[in-house]
Amino acid sequence: MAARAQETSRVYRILWLSTASSGADPFLEGFREGLRAQGYIEGKNVVLQSHYAPGDLQGLRAVVAELKRGDVDLAVSSGPATRAMSSVAEIPVLFAQSGDPVALGIVKSLAQPGTNFTGTTFLSLELAGKRLELLKDVFPKLRRLAVLSNTDHPGEQSEWRATQQAAKALDVEPVYIPFFGPREFNGALASVGSARADAMLAFPEPVTMVNRTKVAQFAAKERLPSMFGWSEYCEAGGLLSYGANQRATYFLLAKYADRILRGENPADLPVVQPEKFELAVNLKTAKLFGEELDLSSILFRASKVVE
Amino acid sequence: MTLAGTPLARSLPRRIYLRALRLRRSLFFKYFLTLFTAVVLPLTLGAAGEAWFGYRDQSRHLSQLLHVQSRSAAERIDAFADEISDQLGWAVQFPWTDGNDASHKIDALRLLQRVPAILSIVLVDQSGTERVSVSRMRLNRIGRGSDMSADAAVVGARASKVWYGPVRYEHDSEPYVRIAVAGNLAAAGVAIADVNLKLIWDVISAIRIGGAGHAIVVDDSGRLIAHPDISQVLRGKTGSEDFHRLKQALGGADASAIVTTGVGEKHVVAAAAPVARLGWTVIALQPASEAFASLRAGLWRSLGLIAIGTLIAAALAYALASRMSGPIRELEIGAKRIGTGHFDHRIALASGDELEKLATRFNEMAGELAISRQKSERISRLKRFLAPQVAELVETSVGLLDGRRREVVAVFADLRGFTAFSARAEPEVIIAALREYYEAVGAVITAHEATLVQFAGDGVMILLNAPLACADPAHRAVRLAIDLQAAVQRLAKRWTDKGYAMGFGVGIAMGPATVGTIGYEGRLDYTAVGSAVNLASRLCDLAGDAQILIDPVVAEQVSGHVRVSWLGERMIKGYHRAVEVFAVVDGATVKRKPAASGTSRPRPGLRLDGAAAQAALCGLKSASTESPAKAKMVAVAH
Repeated sequence: MAARAQETSRVYRILWLSTASSGADPFLEGFREGLRAQGYIEGKNVVLQSHYAPGDLQGLRAVVAELKRGDVDLAVSSGPATRAMSSVAEIPVLFAQSGDPVALGIVKSLAQPGTNFTGTTFLSLELAGKRLELLKDVFPKLRRLAVLSNTDHPGEQSEWRATQQAAKALDVEPVYIPFFGPREFNGALASVGSARADAMLAFPEPVTMVNRTKVAQFAAKERLPSMFGWSEYCEAGGLLSYGANQRATYFLLAKYADRILRGENPADLPVVQPEKFELAVNLKTAKLFGEELDLSSILFRASKVVE
Repeated sequence: MTLAGTPLARSLPRRIYLRALRLRRSLFFKYFLTLFTAVVLPLTLGAAGEAWFGYRDQSRHLSQLLHVQSRSAAERIDAFADEISDQLGWAVQFPWTDGNDASHKIDALRLLQRVPAILSIVLVDQSGTERVSVSRMRLNRIGRGSDMSADAAVVGARASKVWYGPVRYEHDSEPYVRIAVAGNLAAAGVAIADVNLKLIWDVISAIRIGGAGHAIVVDDSGRLIAHPDISQVLRGKTGSEDFHRLKQALGGADASAIVTTGVGEKHVVAAAAPVARLGWTVIALQPASEAFASLRAGLWRSLGLIAIGTLIAAALAYALASRMSGPIRELEIGAKRIGTGHFDHRIALASGDELEKLATRFNEMAGELAISRQKSERISRLKRFLAPQVAELVETSVGLLDGRRREVVAVFADLRGFTAFSARAEPEVIIAALREYYEAVGAVITAHEATLVQFAGDGVMILLNAPLACADPAHRAVRLAIDLQAAVQRLAKRWTDKGYAMGFGVGIAMGPATVGTIGYEGRLDYTAVGSAVNLASRLCDLAGDAQILIDPVVAEQVSGHVRVSWLGERMIKGYHRAVEVFAVVDGATVKRKPAASGTSRPRPGLRLDGAAAQAALCGLKSASTESPAKAKMVAVAH
């Protein structure tokens, strides 16, 4: 595979669009790693142009509007940035989506996208309830849950609805703490603090991902057992996380990028769903809560334990 | 010659045809054909054989390989399913009681942890009621739920312990299968698992056949379940007709791999193995282009060798043909030159082989031819003034023509009245008359083996006893003269009838003369010089029509054989005293009558024989009437 990518003497241009802040973009790093695994060497046969417009979808739309065929070979977007890309029809676009891309209108079906869009969906919507369930399993006293949600994230409303349904089933009162983009993040965190919640759930999305250490530390400080969507949060100090492996997702995205650069039509590349979900537990954080947590109910299920 | 007849104007196809014909007949072509057959035929046969056996072996090898691979994949998929049903068996070991749902849930959750492919598990009690439902994605449920006793999975598992459902595609994309296991105790109920089939990708993607060969799994309807490129599976029904056709094609052929059209019109070599319990089929396949690449490479190599062989054959043929045709052309040119008379031409060849020997023989032949031609030239030259048989003789005896002094008999003869005739008649008539005359004279000379030394106009000079000696030359000369007279008189009679009065006279003398060749290179004459020659010439001048005058020496020699008459003494120009002159009386040979009137041996002072002598004398011509041609001849004779 590596040799194949190096065969071509062309230098491919990939545009990376994100509404996250440019400082530390873990997704871009994951994608870069994936490209390297496919045999691409940045600067030699691939050039990554990244464009960040933190929380500014309109700004991204302006950039996208100026894109013409031939400017770049491929555009990659994650999270909310994908919405800005919906007008692009001439350039293949790869996405990594929490929500349903069919609902978003960028693909016709998961099996046959039929457009210039393809990528992966994390199934966050379906997993939203599961996260609440797991949190309840480990923290049976859970009654009031603060739900930190970036409303700038596509599918956010569905995710919130799914969470509400699960909360109802599990007899938990969810406290919705929405924020719009990075600028409202700190305020939202403060709201969590004043929500009188027993625990905290943060939807997986770029803003909290970038600020995961801050969120995790905040949760520990507030003595809130926390649940997240990706294991990176857990590694950063979050108590629990449940979701698809991000690294695997971006490796898969890089594989698709390679296939599209070699001429395959994104319309024929099915949208991939993750088949493996990891439950991560941070035992260090768990110690903070002592006997309050029923770790035995969850440790045998954990695929990753941070000690 | 018109342009149409030139080779240039010949139509192009014809020229090409002719060239091709020449080429086909050429040495080059023959050598090329031979060498080509010797080099290329074995190569071609070898290549064909190799291709055939190679194809057979490769097919057999591929067939085995693909079968092994498909069977091993089928076994591993079997093991995958076995593992899941075994694990599910753990969840249906204990009978359901009213209070143990939670412990069953823990069992189910452990099962999820152990088997990553299982997405969800539903546990059903002995009554067919759902008691526990755990999932990786949906919320877990516990306690009595819906009645599933009529569910196909429950019915199937109860009937045969383990039940495998049909493949189901989530969102028409992700493949799942339901596996249900019933416990040994009916009270243990049934465990139903939803299994994500993307996880058998590990089994399938591990199979690599060559560079592009792989294995796929299809369900009973031909829909793809597993493929090394997972996106092919997720793509849904696209291409399932192709896979179905492939499966159908392989359905009957369990023993060997077959070459068939794969997906996307490409030819593949494929073998199938069933995963019986699941009703699936594993197909191991390799693109035919790759499977037989080594064969194709072999064929190309053979073609390359054949091409090289052809080139070598052509080069060798060219070299050999050049080696042969060069000397052969030399020989051809040599033969042509020799044929046109250049006997001095020599063929220079140093090939060291049979051709050089041939050239040597050629050169020797040319030498022999040169000698032979010189000889035949000499003979034909001699034949001009010698009788043919004499000429041959002269050629074989060296020095016969050298100058020497010997006794000769000279015979001179010419026509009477020719000058007047030639002045009066048309040239054609003159030439025709001369031709008749010389034919007659020539025949007589040849018959008597005499030597015609010269002829000019109507006069001839004949020698006897030179260059070849002969017996009784005088007698022979007289016989010759008599025959000459007889022949020419017959002509003269015809001429007279036509109105040209012409006669013929002969003079013969015998005596010593110098004989030999005179002249220069290219024009040599054999002649005799001496008084006898002069005398014969004068006697000829003196002779009248039908008369043969002879000198005393000849008369002496022929006496007793030929009747002669003595004509008395005559003053001859160039002689200071009178010479006795005799005439041959007639052509009849004298009968030996010694007592007869003494005519048998005429002597000087002999009395004239009446009327005959008178007639003879009357016939005598004066010397002043001689023709210019004869004057010249005489001058030569002097």
